[in-house]
Amino acid sequence: MAREVTLTRVYHFSAAHELANPALPPEANAALYGACHRPHGHNYYLEVTVAGMPDPVTGMAVDLGALDAQVERSLLAQVDHHKLEEAPALAGVITTGEGLARAFWGVLEPRLARGSLRRVTVVETAKNRFEYRGQND
Amino acid sequence: MARARSTRRFSFAAGHHYRVAAWSPEENERFFGRLTVPHGHNYTLDVTVRGDIDERTGMVIDLGELKRVVAETVVDRFDHADLNADPLFRDRVPTTENIALVVWDLLAPKLGVDRLASVRVWEDATLSVEYDGT
Repeated sequence: MAREVTLTRVYHFSAAHELANPALPPEANAALYGACHRPHGHNYYLEVTVAGMPDPVTGMAVDLGALDAQVERSLLAQVDHHKLEEAPALAGVITTGEGLARAFWGVLEPRLARGSLRRVTVVETAKNRFEYRGQND
Repeated sequence: MARARSTRRFSFAAGHHYRVAAWSPEENERFFGRLTVPHGHNYTLDVTVRGDIDERTGMVIDLGELKRVVAETVVDRFDHADLNADPLFRDRVPTTENIALVVWDLLAPKLGVDRLASVRVWEDATLSVEYDGT
């Protein structure tokens, strides 16, 4: 009997960012985002959760090497030790944890096996976690 | 009656290697690479149970009971053990995926599928697999 499991892989990147809505004047952004408006950075963790049926022979539900390579190529290479506002994948994104999770979902979802992506979690600090599970959550 | 979920974390250190018996050593090496070499992990297991909050005790489950069941059924069996030598892995590779399914199959009859909500097995801090019985 094939049973579906979900596999979560944890990745790490360090990046700089500053929260600002480009439609607002600087004083409004400073008031809205406070300390987060100043350029600063985090040691981020990115958790990518995908679903699959363990192969009856190999016991593997996910090709981890392929997943790692895809996340590295399409996301980590752009954000690790970069300023998030300058990453092509994040053009126009306000780089809150929620904004990052939704944007990362948008990058990964079409690049992984159809329908396999279940959850993208951005851990900004040990106190802040942000999850995105797609539009139908 | 309010329902809730409780999760308790366990750990066991176990050895394993990846090998499909029907394949030649070369095929195994080509597919699994270094995973064919016996090695081990400090596994972490999160067991989540769900149920009504008992109005008398304020609990979904006595965590002491959960601890005893999981220790007797899973931890005592796999801690400091060679997973490949366990009959449960005779015909399946002890991947994190299969360990999660095996742990579910061991716990479900003891806790009941209505109470057991999910099991999550962490091979290390970067990789976990969850199964919820579906």
